[in-house]
Amino acid sequence: MAHGSNVVRLPLIQAYLQEQRELTAVEKFARHHDEQPAGATEQYYEELIPLSKPKPGEQYGFQVDLDRCTGCKACVSACHSLNGLDEGETWRFVGLLHGGTPEVPVQQTVTTACHHCVDPACMKGCPVNAYEKDPVTGIVKHLDDQCIGCQYCTLTCPYEVPQYNAKKGIVRKCDMCSDRLAVGQAPACVQACPNEAISIRIVSRDAVIEDAQAGGFLPAAPSPGITVPTTVYKSERAFPRNTLPADFYAVHPSHQHRPLVVMLVLTQLSVGAFCMDRVVSALVSGAAPALVRPVHSLAALCMGLLALGAAVFHLGRPLYAFRAVLGLRTSWMSREIVAFGLFAKAAIVYAAVVWREPLCAVLHCPKIPETVARSLETYLGGFVALCGALGVFCSVMIYQVTLRKLWSFSRTGFKFLMTTIVLGASTTLFTSALASCLGAGRDGAAQLGAIGVIVAKALALAVCAELVFEASIFVHLRDKQQGELKRTALLLIGELRPLGWLRLWAAILGGLFLPLAIAANLDGTASLGVVLSAALSLFCLSLGELFERTLFFAAVSVPRMPGGVG
Amino acid sequence: MTSKWDTLLLRAKDLMREKSGSLTRELERKDAGFGLGQVPLKSAPDATTTMVCGFCSTGCGLTVHLKEGRAVNLSPTRGYPVNLGMACPKGWEALTPLAAPDRAVTPLLRNARGELLPVEWPVALETFVTRVRAIQEKHGPESVAFISTGQIPTEEMALLGALAKFGMGMIHGDGNTRQCMATSVVAYKESFGFDAPPFTYQDFEESDVLVFVGANPCIAHPIMWERVCRNKHKPEIVVIDPRRTETAMAATLHVPLRPKTDLVLLYGVAHLLAARGQIDRAYIDAHTKGYDEFAAQLVTYEPAHVAETCGIPVETLERLAKCIAEGKRVSFWWTMGVNQSHQGVRTAQAIIDLALMTGNMGRPGTGANSITGQCNAMGSRLFSNTTNLLGGRSFTDEQDREHVARALGIDVVHIPTRGSLAYDQIIEGILKGKIKGLWVIATNTAHSWINQADLFDTLKRLEFLVVQDMYATTETAVRADLVLPAAGWGEKDGTFINSERRFGVIKKVARAPGHALADFYIFKALAEAWGCADMFERWSSPEAVFQIMKELSRGQPCDFSGIESYAQIDALGGIQWPLPTGQTPTASEQRRLFEDGNYFHDDGRARFIWSEPSALPEATSAAYPLFLLTGRGSSAQWHTETRTKKSDVLRKLYPNVPYVEVSPLDAKKLGLGPNEWVCVRSARGAVVVKAFVTHVVQPGHVFMPMHYASTNQLTFAAFDPYSRQPAYKGCAVRLERVDELTARTAQATETRS
Repeated sequence: MAHGSNVVRLPLIQAYLQEQRELTAVEKFARHHDEQPAGATEQYYEELIPLSKPKPGEQYGFQVDLDRCTGCKACVSACHSLNGLDEGETWRFVGLLHGGTPEVPVQQTVTTACHHCVDPACMKGCPVNAYEKDPVTGIVKHLDDQCIGCQYCTLTCPYEVPQYNAKKGIVRKCDMCSDRLAVGQAPACVQACPNEAISIRIVSRDAVIEDAQAGGFLPAAPSPGITVPTTVYKSERAFPRNTLPADFYAVHPSHQHRPLVVMLVLTQLSVGAFCMDRVVSALVSGAAPALVRPVHSLAALCMGLLALGAAVFHLGRPLYAFRAVLGLRTSWMSREIVAFGLFAKAAIVYAAVVWREPLCAVLHCPKIPETVARSLETYLGGFVALCGALGVFCSVMIYQVTLRKLWSFSRTGFKFLMTTIVLGASTTLFTSALASCLGAGRDGAAQLGAIGVIVAKALALAVCAELVFEASIFVHLRDKQQGELKRTALLLIGELRPLGWLRLWAAILGGLFLPLAIAANLDGTASLGVVLSAALSLFCLSLGELFERTLFFAAVSVPRMPGGVG
Repeated sequence: MTSKWDTLLLRAKDLMREKSGSLTRELERKDAGFGLGQVPLKSAPDATTTMVCGFCSTGCGLTVHLKEGRAVNLSPTRGYPVNLGMACPKGWEALTPLAAPDRAVTPLLRNARGELLPVEWPVALETFVTRVRAIQEKHGPESVAFISTGQIPTEEMALLGALAKFGMGMIHGDGNTRQCMATSVVAYKESFGFDAPPFTYQDFEESDVLVFVGANPCIAHPIMWERVCRNKHKPEIVVIDPRRTETAMAATLHVPLRPKTDLVLLYGVAHLLAARGQIDRAYIDAHTKGYDEFAAQLVTYEPAHVAETCGIPVETLERLAKCIAEGKRVSFWWTMGVNQSHQGVRTAQAIIDLALMTGNMGRPGTGANSITGQCNAMGSRLFSNTTNLLGGRSFTDEQDREHVARALGIDVVHIPTRGSLAYDQIIEGILKGKIKGLWVIATNTAHSWINQADLFDTLKRLEFLVVQDMYATTETAVRADLVLPAAGWGEKDGTFINSERRFGVIKKVARAPGHALADFYIFKALAEAWGCADMFERWSSPEAVFQIMKELSRGQPCDFSGIESYAQIDALGGIQWPLPTGQTPTASEQRRLFEDGNYFHDDGRARFIWSEPSALPEATSAAYPLFLLTGRGSSAQWHTETRTKKSDVLRKLYPNVPYVEVSPLDAKKLGLGPNEWVCVRSARGAVVVKAFVTHVVQPGHVFMPMHYASTNQLTFAAFDPYSRQPAYKGCAVRLERVDELTARTAQATETRS
């Protein structure tokens, strides 16, 4: 054998690299796959899918034999691969229940996908009718091309089934492989379970409803009463009373939905400001309301438009936002969009009426008679406020229907109302100070200053109420049970604590310190200092509300099927 | 005019309500033929081919969906006799890790400033040769060793072993298989006369009693569990495991014994059977040796004493013995709970003893069966040329050496006359300054080796560390002086041998990225660079090597000289060894060994082998009162996660934060709440992990999955004296509470390192 180092010739490496690049499997083994019979797969699962179509009053449902589910999770990856989902996208999940005693410990893995509910919350919540429940099979199908990517269904479904695909800007979900079933093939997960734990069965809707009423579904799963899921979990074993999901004590922040945060806070600011405009007009006589109105209406309108602009960013496919009228019959999201749509249009007209003089001058159009304009201002202003209030109510309802405890009607309602009041008042404080300062010497300027003092004091009071209410969540830290609200409280003192502090300080600075300073220093016409203070107060308060709304999303505890460790 | 309006109206309607379109088409499925049923339209194949999976030893057949020769998707092969159309998540995701962005695409060489920088192949090869040779010349041929693997095809293992030992003159080489099946190898060799797992998977379906010892197939081998689920005989399923595992949950009898008391338990069962005469005397007399001596020493294993030692009620012991006594076809299955133990060999042999004394061998549904770990651990057992000479032969046997030299056409002087040091002895050799260079192929020592902190120091003492891997980012590769970029499973040809001795083919269905080369070509190029290429002239392709291996196996118990070609293996759904020349295999065969009761010892008899149980290498103490168990965490993770963590889907299927299972009783003592951070400390190190408070572990025990790199900072380096396999499943630890901030800092530091 030759010794001494041989430098390897480059051509040899090139040849190896060339060989490495040649794909030879087909050429070498072609004979074999030509012989593969078509349709040879059915024999493997013929007992796992129904032979007939459901009769009236029936539908398809998943059945999971828990005694056979041993947690290999092949169903998850098979669904991913055989349905061509995007990298990391999965429509099936496997969680873990555990409990028992040291002597008889129990653990049980649970595979879960869409439950093709009798009363699907995804479908009811969808503003664009992108969900269909097949009248024969009962499969809840998502129409991908119809979806505008509002993600509301991800909030309404108690089982985290619809998955938002940010790249495509839409939600996608399990359709029980409906086209496979249609030709007698089993869904991917059914095909893939080594232990035949998953099957498709025909269920009677009445029986499913009866089960749901009795609360029989799966230990530690969200109440079946909400959507009446059709999946049947069966097991010969009894679950011990202390059965809990492995992730029961895990608390993770939820999605923050930033555009929604901005949209909610600014719509409420805008609505609050328009309402305050009406309040001031109704309560105050004299020149002050007219003096402040142009500045005020412009500020409120700008914020409102900014809010609706932000809302568009939330949509995965904003170009199709116009479809949102389709869901009016069932979806609070549709109703909110319509209400705020009207609000915005009315607000523009209102602002135009308020700014009629310069507008007419610029556009060279005849002036509207003053009396007509006055009553227009009154009625239109009232209409704007009404639409806005309706919109805020719809916003509240959007969250209320998810049945998450943190988003209950009273909690959400109070929060959104307080934001509307606080930011409406803060805007009024700022605009009246500004109008007073700009209009120094004119009629009503000093009166505006006096209004500012009252508003500032009221504002401080409202912010106190808000903060006290928000702090009341911490009562739940003492709950014996790890309920939804305790999880929220734990998150707020845990991972979300920095955001909580920011929210508190912004509110104290903008809602207590600055307004009280303004109230103490404002006497008659507002000085530049007061205007700047009011502006800073509005800025801080808005920021504080934005933080609060971020927490509203991030700290919510989501109902879900049992999850895994961690 | 009307039609125009209608069209417009329709378009407007469509715009309002779009039931189909490009997004819908994204998920469209179509029947693609090839017996696949519906598949995604966008990845519909124009051809398919079957190959075996490259993760575990089950050896599932996967149908790769090809488009213009390139793999676009895969699904488990319906007709394959191993998996019958099923796969675990790793199998389903097998193609994904190939496309990972951190693949090694060129050789990397550490420069004077300590940075690993890309170099061309000729530079890398020359560096390898010059530096290895320099070390060998200075410190002797023994000073450079290699660590092989159970993850590459048999042909590549054989080439590596032959090149390193016959070509480069190395003496020492071992494999990561030392960490998973060395114990079974030694146990089988001593008991049966050859390393021969006797079973076929059909046995899972044929048994009326299945006894699993230290095995959690639901998680570790889900597709073998599939076969258990298909058993039509309503079998008794016994699981002997300290944890209430998924498999224990599915069992009809769970024996939650104290860790590492399995040897005592098995002797206790043997005692009961022997004392009651529930044995197969005819079988013992005809086919075994040493039973009476074995039975004589069993008398000390009184049920009460055994039950107390094992921490179980006497009734459980009785029930276990009764199950075995009454079973018509009893099969015993063991995995790492037995193998990774300080007395693993004797424990495995105690299982073998039970099977022999009850005559549960050689018949359908019986056997003392070791389930292997890696996809080609069985290939390495025969052809890694490390402890054993090629073909399951012996370096110390002159005839064997001559047979090999003849078969390879080389001078017998090139074949070392002694076996290698074991893995732990190689590591110790580094510490002692005897090993100066190490060549690591397709394994991740810096993650998987026991007692990691010491190992990191040890690796620093090397003058030259070469890592040959698919990824330059493994814990070991980042410590290397030279990284050689390798093609992976799916990017090369060859054969694997699965747990039931079945050969399966792997094929090239994807292009390796950049300049990555199949290990086969890397070895060939290194042979060229070393100047010993002429020795491997006949080793021209993997299939040519397969023909050479056939010759090497001739006359051995594993003789597979009757297999014709890759195409034959492919067409028949794999072929089990032995298959001597002249025997014709049939499709989807299920063959087991010892049907005639003839074992591989010269006298044809199997041996009863036993010894006194030994004390735990590291018992719990006041300072470290908890016993740390380690093992597989989920079926979505593979060993050190070099590949599985590259798949987004797999990453969703297991906890991404390391965790420890703690009994609620122990947690309460410590004031530890569920899901809180906790520090697990052993005498060797401390790691901060999440606490999963669950009754699945017994009070006094904690469990950590082995897939997280930090677990081996705790383990205690003890070894089975016969197999040198590390005892991963036994060391003493304590838990300490930590606050959130400390925990996060510790986690962050770990992520950075």
